Amino acid sequence: MFHWKKLGKAFTPQEVTGRDWLKEFAQAPATLLLDDVVRVYFSCRPPADANGQYVSYSAFVDLDRADLFKVRHVAERPILNLGGLGEFDEFGTYPVSVIRDGGDVRAYYAGWTRCESVPFNVAIGCAVSRDGGKTFSKLGTGPILSYTPDEPFVLSGPKIRCYNSLWYLFYIAGRKWKMVDGLAEPVYKIRMATSEDGIQWSKLNKDLIESCIEEDEAQASPDVFYSNGKFHMFFCYRYSSHYRGRQNGYRIGYASSTNLVDWVRDDSRAGIDVSEQGWDAEMISYPHVFELDGSIYMAYLGDQVGRYGFGLALLKGELE
Amino acid sequence: MRWKKLGKIFDPTEHILLDGCVQFAQSPQALVFDDFVRIYFSTRSVDPSNGKYLSHIAFVEMRKNLRDIIRVSNHTVIPLGALGCFDEHGIFPLNVLRHGDAVYGYTCGWNRRVSVSVDTAIGLAISRDNGLTFERIGDGPVLAASLREPCLVGDGFVKVIDGVFHMWYIFGTGWKQYAPDAAPDRTYKIGHATSGDGINWVKDEAHQIIPDRLGVSESQALPTVIEITGRYHLFFCYRESFDFRNGKGRGYRIGHAWSDNLSNWTRNDEPPLLQGAPGEWDSDMQCYPHVFECDGKVYLLYNGNEFGRAGFGLALMHT
Repeated sequence: MFHWKKLGKAFTPQEVTGRDWLKEFAQAPATLLLDDVVRVYFSCRPPADANGQYVSYSAFVDLDRADLFKVRHVAERPILNLGGLGEFDEFGTYPVSVIRDGGDVRAYYAGWTRCESVPFNVAIGCAVSRDGGKTFSKLGTGPILSYTPDEPFVLSGPKIRCYNSLWYLFYIAGRKWKMVDGLAEPVYKIRMATSEDGIQWSKLNKDLIESCIEEDEAQASPDVFYSNGKFHMFFCYRYSSHYRGRQNGYRIGYASSTNLVDWVRDDSRAGIDVSEQGWDAEMISYPHVFELDGSIYMAYLGDQVGRYGFGLALLKGELE
Repeated sequence: MRWKKLGKIFDPTEHILLDGCVQFAQSPQALVFDDFVRIYFSTRSVDPSNGKYLSHIAFVEMRKNLRDIIRVSNHTVIPLGALGCFDEHGIFPLNVLRHGDAVYGYTCGWNRRVSVSVDTAIGLAISRDNGLTFERIGDGPVLAASLREPCLVGDGFVKVIDGVFHMWYIFGTGWKQYAPDAAPDRTYKIGHATSGDGINWVKDEAHQIIPDRLGVSESQALPTVIEITGRYHLFFCYRESFDFRNGKGRGYRIGHAWSDNLSNWTRNDEPPLLQGAPGEWDSDMQCYPHVFECDGKVYLLYNGNEFGRAGFGLALMHT
């Protein structure tokens, strides 16, 4: 089992002032290393509208590289505008994953629209930054990864990687909408696509991670990290119903692979779980693993899927 | 090119249709058999939960005189999509073609949105019983929105030419609210994609192949293609993007373009192909064309007033 030492919550959105688009939530942390800060992208929300509905924005916080618990700067505005009328990302850009591409930074993000029979649908878009990740321009008004026969809806949670000059996109795809107590709840599974250029994608059309707690287990945040000759994936999973509390809520799972296609799941190795008390006692989710100055960290969300921010854990020992 | 109008040939209100459908026979599309012609169309039921329409596929079989009705389908040709799927709230239209022993059905699936009324995508369903029933290859579409085609991919028409699947389809260029209290209206254009297997498609993305006659706010729909003596003819319908339901002269009419290489299309629909005289079933609108050949004759199926609420008619090409 890996040994993660929890360091505590590193960012609390409620402590930020002067930004009407950022009231609460700091979801799906994703890092970009700069000279003296770690830029952590996250997704947040302004207050709900009169109908109780949210939109999501993505932004970043710069953490001091020498002391990750010191906030140096918070983005002045969201990194992406919401989409136009009828576009796939009209009501949200969440989550986002970034990668350097030469002098540019590319962001892959999930765009949210609202539907009538189910609450939402999601597809994956792409944007590029030419100012080191401060602002991004969308490559187009539509998605770069959308629905196909085996992935009919809810393409979300992109994690962009590049290995041996090939682009890899890990993401989730909806499998079914399950009616629970009169609400449509999405079931989704972890998937992968590959690309020569990061724009034109070939889907693998395969569930990467076998379901474990139930057939309709929902899986999210497939975060892949290469270390010691192996690919390590930390992800999160939950039950399909009544998952908004401790009992059925998100936990962090683990799988490994040598070829990125065949994965062996072994949650017993994940080494991180909910706390007895505190900000992450009900659920932990949306893991993101990154290396900084010789140490390996995991950023992750606590209760209410990051409503009160994200925390950090430090790996003791090796990822192998 | 001249057409002789043969009048309305099918009125849905004169038949018992499945699923409580009583009106609309939209976007007729033909599958020709040895001794009869089956014409698929989309009809509508009312969603009991909210009073909105749901489009369903049905068909009528006719003698090859295209006048005498043999029967109307009384079974589910293809069910609507599952909860949250692209084709949950309607299939309109269905384009059919024979491929080996199967009949391929390209669906345009409709799903309702909140800020705009709807989005669409193109699915594939395959029939192994000569087109009586169709089964989806998956819950999702084969052609959907992409980077530069942000919405409303639909109306696929497929033809295999020299071993390559060609699809003409429409893609939305965007939604716009034309008046402060008006519901948003959409604009769409005709595009082209190709495929080796009919499942995996490569779009010529966001390339509008037919020039506008009415300007950028022209909406173009329902492409249908036929080859006549070495030249390809593409028929479609076009209209203004707003006030097109009742606005005089703003509704759908039939367009035409031709090509000798499937790449460059020359638009050729002035004067209009079909004229509707006052009082006729197609006096105010002609839309949703489908061109096909039967026993050496070239026919055009199409809808008239009110988008086909009262059925479809036929025209014969003069040679």
